[in-house]
Amino acid sequence: MKLSSFMDSAYQKKRPGKRLKTREGDMIFSLEDLADRVGNKPSREAVEELVPEDNNQLDLLISSDPKKKYSMIWGYLTSLAAERSSAPLKPPSRDYVGLELRHGTIILPEAGDHVGERMRGGRIVVKGKAGDHLGQEMQGGRIIARGCRDYGFRSMREGFGVILGDAGKFLGIGNCGGRITVMGSCKERAGWLMRSGSLNVSGDAGEYLGLLMSGGRIQVKGIAGRRAGWRKRGGSIAAGGFGPEAAVDVIELE
Amino acid sequence: MGRKDLAIGMQRVNAQLYFSIANSCLRGRAVLLYGGMGANKTTLINLLGSSFLSMDFDQVEDIMVTGHPEQTEEKIVGFLDPRQWADSSAGPTQVLWTAWAASNWKLINEINRFPSGKQNLFLEILQKRKISYAGQLCRPGDTCYFATMNPEFSSTYPLDEAILDRISACVPATQPDFMAGILLSEREKDVRDLADQLPRFTPQEFSSLPGMVAEKHLSGQVELAILCLIRDFTLCERAPFYDKTQLSSSKPSLGLCSGCHYQNNPEAICWQVDEGLSDRVRQDLRIFCRAFAFLLNRDADLEVLKAIAPYVIWHRTTPMRHALEMPPYFGDGKLAYVAGLVEKSINRTMNEREEMNRIFSRAVDGETTAAKAIEELSLFDDPIARLDFIPALEDLS
Repeated sequence: MKLSSFMDSAYQKKRPGKRLKTREGDMIFSLEDLADRVGNKPSREAVEELVPEDNNQLDLLISSDPKKKYSMIWGYLTSLAAERSSAPLKPPSRDYVGLELRHGTIILPEAGDHVGERMRGGRIVVKGKAGDHLGQEMQGGRIIARGCRDYGFRSMREGFGVILGDAGKFLGIGNCGGRITVMGSCKERAGWLMRSGSLNVSGDAGEYLGLLMSGGRIQVKGIAGRRAGWRKRGGSIAAGGFGPEAAVDVIELE
Repeated sequence: MGRKDLAIGMQRVNAQLYFSIANSCLRGRAVLLYGGMGANKTTLINLLGSSFLSMDFDQVEDIMVTGHPEQTEEKIVGFLDPRQWADSSAGPTQVLWTAWAASNWKLINEINRFPSGKQNLFLEILQKRKISYAGQLCRPGDTCYFATMNPEFSSTYPLDEAILDRISACVPATQPDFMAGILLSEREKDVRDLADQLPRFTPQEFSSLPGMVAEKHLSGQVELAILCLIRDFTLCERAPFYDKTQLSSSKPSLGLCSGCHYQNNPEAICWQVDEGLSDRVRQDLRIFCRAFAFLLNRDADLEVLKAIAPYVIWHRTTPMRHALEMPPYFGDGKLAYVAGLVEKSINRTMNEREEMNRIFSRAVDGETTAAKAIEELSLFDDPIARLDFIPALEDLS
């Protein structure tokens, strides 16, 4: 017999995969149990497959502290809980809330980092200020926050983001869709490498607004900092005023 | 019997009883029952002998040999017939064989009460179909071997590694537990009456058992897991020919592994035991898997292997003392510790070694070049890949 045939017969009933599933069929009582089965950085599908049917047990998992190690798993659990619930979910303010949310509503008093990352639908309301990476890689849905720190709505494809106050640096980097509205001001390099979508700022914007942008629309009602539209290749920027060295095609609003 | 301490999937059985019955269904294998005095080790074997050989209990008791320092080969095996020297017409030398030597049910009672030198007598006898003495042969045929021993007492002797290797499985025999004690108190009958009540095998039925066991099929999974299990215990990067059985004065417990990157890696087994495993272990694992599958009327699968392998291995190895002394073993849970190593090896083979095993098999079958396979295998930090597969492919290329 060929050695390959021997190996085929030895592994015929095994599913491909390198890690041992030691607890298949066991109940999931803690985030550690879940992490043992799916790893610390799993896909949503892997978590969804194992998440308890019982909502009380799911609530128990959400109420536990994931620390940094299990924060992604915990984020998926908040999304799954929000999707199951008819009322808005009010989880503790931690990182990765609403990770890959598809529908449902989440209300947070304030938010950590990566809130609403890769969300595809539903709604997240942050009553206070959000941390970094708010709505990163959004593909749908809406996020409303009182303010956010850096890298808000980065690489956004679709959806709607509203910041009622001020936004930090690098807002909407590399966006290829979606809409962002900032009622206050935003700091430097908003709309960097933007390819499509829109960014509306009611207040002022920092320097290098729309740096290297190739599409989309930016409108700043206040004053943009220096070098607005620096080396831009497409798209449009309109601002109430702008600093020195702005691109020639930046439009001044009346 | 005591508790059902052997779990095979969902089935739970008493290890002492089932290993003894399994050995009765096999030939040329030896099972050692290890435990304190009065744990019914000898009685159990004699009861089974009475049933399988369809003999009276007292007759079976008379067959066994019991260890003590004054035992000699002549008393155990046989002696030259003195009458032949008075007979002028005598032909070839005649030997009077003992009942033990001529029987195909051999119980060596209290084996560790034989002094170390006299234990060597059993090196030749165990697992053999014939016994020689003074140039004459006794051919009892296929034989079931059993042995019993106590823990170390004042008048016992340690068993040699070579004789331990010839013992297929070692099973702890515990004292009857509370429930068993109640049952024993209610029993009025003598053990001889119990022997009379047991079913009797005809000689044909008894001799047909090994054939029925051999009909059980071992899956490829089990064969592969056994191969990897033995290599996991035997391979050592620092031993001659990567073979731990070649070591004499230097051992993992004596600092051989100091500085080796496998040391203290809980996934690696090589540094956790002093001795490697011989090919006898592979044969014992295969045959006992089949025997248990036959007894329990199930497939000889990985669950059976996981359950029986610790009993086949634990007496042949010495775990690292400092690892064994940690909870939950507390220095005395050697069987449980070896069971943990066995489970680790089997799980690793089934879940993490598929890729490297397939790379190796493709290269051996000529589906890919040895050089490419060696390059791919060098990425696997696994003793089998590094010390078995790569040298084998280097020889091929």
